[in-house]
Formats: sequence, C-alpha cells, structure tokens
Amino acid sequence: MIRTPLRPLARILAARAKGENPDAIERENIRLRHEELRDRARARAEGRLFVLALFFLCAFGTVGIRMGVLAATDPAEPRSAGSGAQILANRADITDRNGQLLATNLVTWSLYAQPRQMIDPEGSARALASIFPDLDRDRLIRQFTGGRTFVWIKRRISPEQRQAVHDIGDPGLLFGPREMRLYPNGALAAHVLGGAAFGREGVHSAEVIGTAGVEKTFDERLRDPANQGRPLVLSLDLSVQAAVEQVLEAGMALMNAKGAAAVVMDARTGEVVAMASLPDFDPNDRPAPPTSGDASDNPLFNRAVQGVYELGSTYKIFTVAQALDLGLVTPETRIDTRSPMTHGRHRIRDFRNYGPELSVTDVIVKSSNVGTARIALMIGAERQKAFLARLGLLAPTAIEMAEAPGVQPLFPQKNWPEISVMTISYGHGTSASPLHLAAAYATLVNGGYKVTPTILHRDIPLRGERVISEQTSAIVRSMLRETVARGTATLADVPGYSVGGKTGTADKPLRDGRGYHSDKVITTFAGMFPSDNPAYVIVVSLDEPVETSGPEPRRTAGWTAVPVAAEIIRRIAPILGVRPAIATAGEDGVTLARN
Amino acid sequence: MSYLEYSVKRVPTGPRKILHLNWALVLLLIAVASTGFLMLYSVAGGDISRWAEPQMKRFAVGLVLMFAVAFVPIWFWRNMAALAYGISLLLLVAVEFVGDIGMGAQRWIDLGVIRLQPSELMKITLVMLLAAYYDWLDIRKTSHPLYVLLPALLILLPTALVLKQPDLGTSILLLMGGAAVMFAAGVHWAYFATVFAAGVGLVSAVMASRGKPWQLLEDYQYRRIDTFLDPGSDPLGAGYHITQAQIALGSGGWAGRGFMQGTQSRPIFLPEKHTDFIFTTLAEEFGFVGAFSLLVLYVLIIGFCVASAVSNKDRFASLLTLGIAVAFFLYFAINMAMVMGLAPVVGVPLPLVSYGGSAMLVLMVAFGLVQSAHIHRPR
Repeated sequence: MIRTPLRPLARILAARAKGENPDAIERENIRLRHEELRDRARARAEGRLFVLALFFLCAFGTVGIRMGVLAATDPAEPRSAGSGAQILANRADITDRNGQLLATNLVTWSLYAQPRQMIDPEGSARALASIFPDLDRDRLIRQFTGGRTFVWIKRRISPEQRQAVHDIGDPGLLFGPREMRLYPNGALAAHVLGGAAFGREGVHSAEVIGTAGVEKTFDERLRDPANQGRPLVLSLDLSVQAAVEQVLEAGMALMNAKGAAAVVMDARTGEVVAMASLPDFDPNDRPAPPTSGDASDNPLFNRAVQGVYELGSTYKIFTVAQALDLGLVTPETRIDTRSPMTHGRHRIRDFRNYGPELSVTDVIVKSSNVGTARIALMIGAERQKAFLARLGLLAPTAIEMAEAPGVQPLFPQKNWPEISVMTISYGHGTSASPLHLAAAYATLVNGGYKVTPTILHRDIPLRGERVISEQTSAIVRSMLRETVARGTATLADVPGYSVGGKTGTADKPLRDGRGYHSDKVITTFAGMFPSDNPAYVIVVSLDEPVETSGPEPRRTAGWTAVPVAAEIIRRIAPILGVRPAIATAGEDGVTLARN
Repeated sequence: MSYLEYSVKRVPTGPRKILHLNWALVLLLIAVASTGFLMLYSVAGGDISRWAEPQMKRFAVGLVLMFAVAFVPIWFWRNMAALAYGISLLLLVAVEFVGDIGMGAQRWIDLGVIRLQPSELMKITLVMLLAAYYDWLDIRKTSHPLYVLLPALLILLPTALVLKQPDLGTSILLLMGGAAVMFAAGVHWAYFATVFAAGVGLVSAVMASRGKPWQLLEDYQYRRIDTFLDPGSDPLGAGYHITQAQIALGSGGWAGRGFMQGTQSRPIFLPEKHTDFIFTTLAEEFGFVGAFSLLVLYVLIIGFCVASAVSNKDRFASLLTLGIAVAFFLYFAINMAMVMGLAPVVGVPLPLVSYGGSAMLVLMVAFGLVQSAHIHRPR
C-alpha cells in the first residue's frame, strides 16, 4: 500500500510561495486519512453485518421450514423396536436350577388423580370408594376438592379394578404403568426369594428394589442392565421345594408344632436344593415386618437361616467324629456310661440308663449324653472349639441371602470351661441354625471336605479343604446308618434309600434366659441318603411338637422330626434321581446256572 | 465515532427521551411476553396463579427496569462495562461455593430478595465489555494477535465457569455471543476459520478414534455422545422430550387444536413443558400459523435491533446492540431447533416466553441498553 505523504513537498512549496500556512495542509491530510480509515472500517463492519444477517436468515429459514415439515407430518407415536419392553422389564428373572420361573415381572397400573381436570370430584370419590373398600370416601373428597393438582390413589390395581375405574369415566383419573415383581408360585420358596418393593416412584415408572432374601442380596445384579435380563439361577429345585413344603406343612400340623424348618443340601457342592420355613407368607403380598411380639414367630422369619436353636444330640456325631479322626477312640472302644455323671456341681444324665459301658458306635446309636461327654473330655476345649469352627458352626454362614450375615451362632465367648466342653459335645450350651447343621453334616459325610452352603446353582463343584479323613467319614456314615437301622431314628428308615442320620431333642430356653421349659422342645433330625455314598443331606426341625397318637404325649425327635423327614425323603429321593437299592431276595436265593 | 466526538447537546434530555424510545421494539416485546402468558395459562390447565401470574409480575418489573436503564445515557453504561463484567465474574465464582443446586446443576445464588443466576447476567455483561473493548481499541489493532487473545480470554473464562456448573446451553450462548461481537468488530476472518477448523478437527479425531486401539474416550462416553446427537435412538430415555415435542408439533398441524385444547404437551407427557419446551404447547394449540407468527415476532425484534445498530454511528452502541441481538437470536434459535429436533437438547429457554425469572429480567435490562443506545445515538 502506497501511503500518501502528509506533507507533500510540491504542495507545501506552492503554499509557502503563496504565503499560506503549510501546517493547514498537514492537518487537512490527517483528517482525510482518518476519514478514509473510518470509511474502510465501516465498509468492513457492514460486510460483517451482512454475513451475520445472512446467517440469521439461514437459521430462520431452517427453523421455519422444519416447522412446516413437522406441522405437515401426521402425529404418530414413535415405534421403538422392542426397546420399550426392555426398559420396562428391567429386573432380571429368578429361576430354579432347571430354569423354572421363581420370580418375574408383570406390568400393572397405578392410579392417580389430577383433581383440576375432574368433572365430578365428589361423585368420582364415591365411586372410587366403592371400588376400593379400603379407601376413605371423605378423605378422597377432601383431597379432590382441596385445590391439589395431583393425588396418588393406588400404587397397584388389578385389571378388573382398572376397568371399573375406566367406567367411572372421569378424565381426571389417570393410570401409570407399574412394573411389579411377580412370584408365580405364590408362597413357594418365599423365604429364599424374600420380596421386592417399590423404591423411588414416578408417574410413569417405579424402581423395584429387593427387600429380603436373594432379591435383596442380588439387587444390584438383578437391576444391572449389563446382564441384559439374564436370569439369576438358584440352586433350588422347584419340584423338590414343593414336595418339602407340602410334607413339612402336613407334618407340622400332625405333630402340633408351631413352626418348622427344612433344608435339603447337595452333600458335595453345598447347593441348597430346597429350603423351607413355616409358617410362611406370599412374597407377592409381603406382610409388614412385625413391630411387637417375638420376631422369631413371625412368618417373615426364616427359621432355616435365621433360627438359632440348640440342636441337641445331633451334635454328638461331631464329638465322635473328631475323637475318631484324632485317633483317641475306635468305633469299638468301650466308654463308661454310668449315669448320672457328676462334674463339680453339675450332673449329666442320659434319657435312660444304658448300663455301665457302651461302644463308641452305641454311644451314637443310643444317643448317650454321658458317653459323649466323656469322649469330649478326652478332646479338650481348645481342639473342640477349633473343630466346630472348621465345620462352620461358630460363624455366620456364607449363603447368599440378605439375612444370613447377621446370624451368629451362640457359644461361650470367652472361656470355654470343662462343663461347656461336655454340654456342647451333645449340643447344649451352643446354638446354630438348621442351615449350619446341614453344612456341617455334609462336610462329615461327603468324604471329609468342607462344604460352604450356597443358594446359587454351581456349574463346577467346589472341593473345600479337608476337615476329617476319608476313613473317619466312612465310619461316621456307618454310625449314622446304624442309628437309623437300630437306634433312635428307626422311623427314618425309608426302604431302598439307606438313610442315615441323628436325632436331637433340646428343651426350649425360657424367654428370660434362665433355664429351660420342661414341656417345650425343638426336635431335629439331621440325615443323609444314600448312606454308602451320600448325595444329599437333610435337616428337619420342628418347633414345640407334641405327638399325641400314643397313650401319653411324645415330644422326642424320634417320634416327631424323624417321621416327617422320612416322608420328605420318600417323596424327594425319586425326584432327585437317587436310585433305590431294592433289596432283592439276595444272592443266596439265586441259583446260578453255572453252578 | 465515539461519543467523545459528537455533540452531546443534540441528544434528547429529560422527559423528552420518552419520545425518542424505540416504541415498536417495546410493543414487540410486550406481544411476545403476552404469548408467553397465554401459554403458561394453558399449560397450567387454565390456572392463572401457577405460572402466568408470577410471570406477568416479573415482566412488569422487567419493563420498569428496561425504562430505567434506557433513560440512563449510554456512555454511563460504557464506563460501567468493565465493572459489570467483574461483578458477574465474581458472582459466577461465588456460585461455585455458595450456590444452590437446582435441577442437578449449581446455578443459583440467593441474594435474599431474588435468586439470581449469574450466568444469565454474564451473557449481557460480556457483550457490554467486548463492545467497550473494541470501542476503546485502536481500530488498526483489531486483528493484532495480542489484542485478539485478550477478548478471547474474556469470553473463555466465564464460559469455562458456566460449563463447570454444568450448563452446556448457557456456555454455548456465551461462546457464540462473544464470538459474534468479535466478528462484527472486524477481527480477521482467519481467526474464526482457524478456531472452526480446529474444532472440527478435534471432534472428527475423537469420533474417528472410536473402536481403534488409540481410542480417545471411553466406550460409555461414546454412547452418551450417540444419544446426545441422536435422541431418537432412545425414545423412552434421553430422547423422551424430543419425541414427545415432535408428536406435539405434529399433532398441532397447520391451524392447531385451539387454545387450551392441547393434549400432548400436558404435564403427563412433557415434564419441562412450562420452561424449555413451552414452544410445543404453542405449536400444538395454534399450529404452524401460531408458531410461525412467534418466529416472525422474534425476527422483527432482531430486525429492529440490527437496524438500530446499523444506523448508530457510535461504535460501542452499535456493537452492544448487535451483540444483544445475537444473544437474543441464539436463545430462541437454539431453543426452537432443540424442540424441533434439529439440535441436541442443551437446556436453553425460549426468551420472554418460558417460565423463569433471571432470564426474563436480564433480557429486559439488555433491551433497556438497546433503547438507551437508540435514544442517545449521535445525531
């Protein structure tokens, strides 16, 4: 760019010649340059404005055209290919080990009102009160006429109720979809499943959150969209569960018990095949937790997992198994069983006097407290405590249920005096849940490998650490078998299935914790079948049973828990695929042609 | 030409200023706001006290504010620009620490009398400061790199603060509004081209890296971008507003369903119907005709502002008017585009129509500045 000089020599000389002030020329030139600059800036600014205006126009045009296009299109609901259903059914199903449905989702409707859009608030309120008898008519009228814009009426309504509300025909009554948890089998496996409730709620949807059982434990897993609705597969077998519950319920009624619990467990993997607790409830309509009274008598209470009871003589096998494993005794060792046995101020008695001495096998078969206590004294406190701990009887079980972690077995916390060694050896002075017992029995009879109970279906069986030797396990199995064949649990002898097991009868502690009831017991049968190679462990426990068919009421486990357990085994063994060993005439009666 | 160079004596004084107001602009503003009242009344289901009445009161306060600002000479506002920007920036920082959280973002500051949204205030003060800056700056230095860097920082600082709240819509408005003032002031176009190219390059690099071993973002972040760009892919989640809004627009058709007859834009379907998505109610009840009329009203407001800016020889007044016009334009253009599915949902209200206090008052003050520039223009 060529700049014109502010003081062009020619003009200045000319001006000087004329006698004018040459500075005027410079001022004039400065003014001109200034104006030129300003005009250029102005032109550029106008150019910029033009660009901006063009941009404005384009934007207006786009918006206007789009407006026209939208106005011209037919209003159509967007079709979301399948994704809508996915969003609604966002909690995964729960199935049993065979894929049978235990929990799924169902879309129901919630009912709410927008009183400002109502035509006849009072009439609608009256009509609603007649459809839902639990609603208060006057309260509804107050809500509808009080100037509120929004009123919740019902969280969940049935299709019939929805139709009835439709028939009222008031535009201010509106429905919102509600995904609801449905348990198609009703009360079946209620305690395992637990239940679900609505979390945060909106008009269009509500969160479903697990409140108990596996629904609570696996809440995150069930809600995680990353699992894409893959069902949670439990170890339960629906058919076995149904049979167990049915028999247990009948047995509870027959034995006049106020509660009952049963656990069927795979002896090798620890998978819980069935778990029942009575009285039970319907998870579709889960009752509110009790605010008063004994929580352990409430239907919500899962006796199998939460019920910590003194399990009585079922513990004797632990003492004997440990003594055998340590080499302190053999099955034939004679044990002094003179009753009563005195230890300081304490006296230990047997149910019946079994004479001066019994073999170790007979201590179990006849269930001698004195014999077991003497064996326990050989073991000592330290080793006894360690052994029970290894069987998992001193800590909460690891089962994946929301209730389990809080269930701490009871035992003398600090010192474990000699008298405790003796009472614990036959199951008194320590408490655990039926599930604990089942896992401990499974460990003893499966060859000696530690079993951790689980509610999930395991594809690969886990082999835990070794607790007792293979030989000890075999001896334990034969002792349990003999108890059923000729001892305290003869009613459990289901033909063909070679059941083995041990009974336990424990007096219920008084509510105040001082002493025991004289006529209230908890009876337990812990067993396994088939005894030569146990596949399943079963624990049945009855609360306050009284068997009244005889001349005088009988309360021992042999007369109450054992027959119930036997009936359960008779029913479930074929379902579980355990082949009965039919006792044929025997080889003696067969004449082989070759001979 | 700056106000220092023209004769102040020819500018109207005292009550005579009323005669020199841009009355057409005032009437247009009233018309747009009245549309808003009608819509708020309709959305509330025929209830005036819920949204329409407070909105009317606020608009009345806004009008008074506008006149008050308009009667103060524009050179006073020029001298206040830096101070106003400083205060807005302080408030933006303060909101980080003492701000209230509303709708998932930290945006509000409680001054006792009113709850203020400093980011709204920033939109106007930023334009003011940039206009004053270019008025002060020697016109030959406009494209000098150093003198481009300074206003760029002035824009980016509040933008970053607002983005952190997080309020994507407002930060876009700040960024584009500031850039528009710089553009109008005559900064060399190469700067804009560079920034634009860099932006496009960055975005395409990020998108191109997807699925490659050198992927720049996490997978879930890409999924979020997908939904952001195409809300239709998730019609019950992120795209819910958009699909419902489009159904409402379609249901309005050409002539609409009639006042108070809308169904789609009722509370059940559109949760934010009285704020960001109020345009759907208008489009449904008055159809294409009604919606387009509102668009025309907006265009006229912009038109009057631009005309005033062009005819104003004072550089500050001109740039300020233009900047405010651009800010106003961005407001409703982004909102309408968002509602009609042309742009992602970023949360920008429809100016003067959507329910909301801060935005309305700040806009009215801004138009007060436009009026002041108009009254006190050099003659």
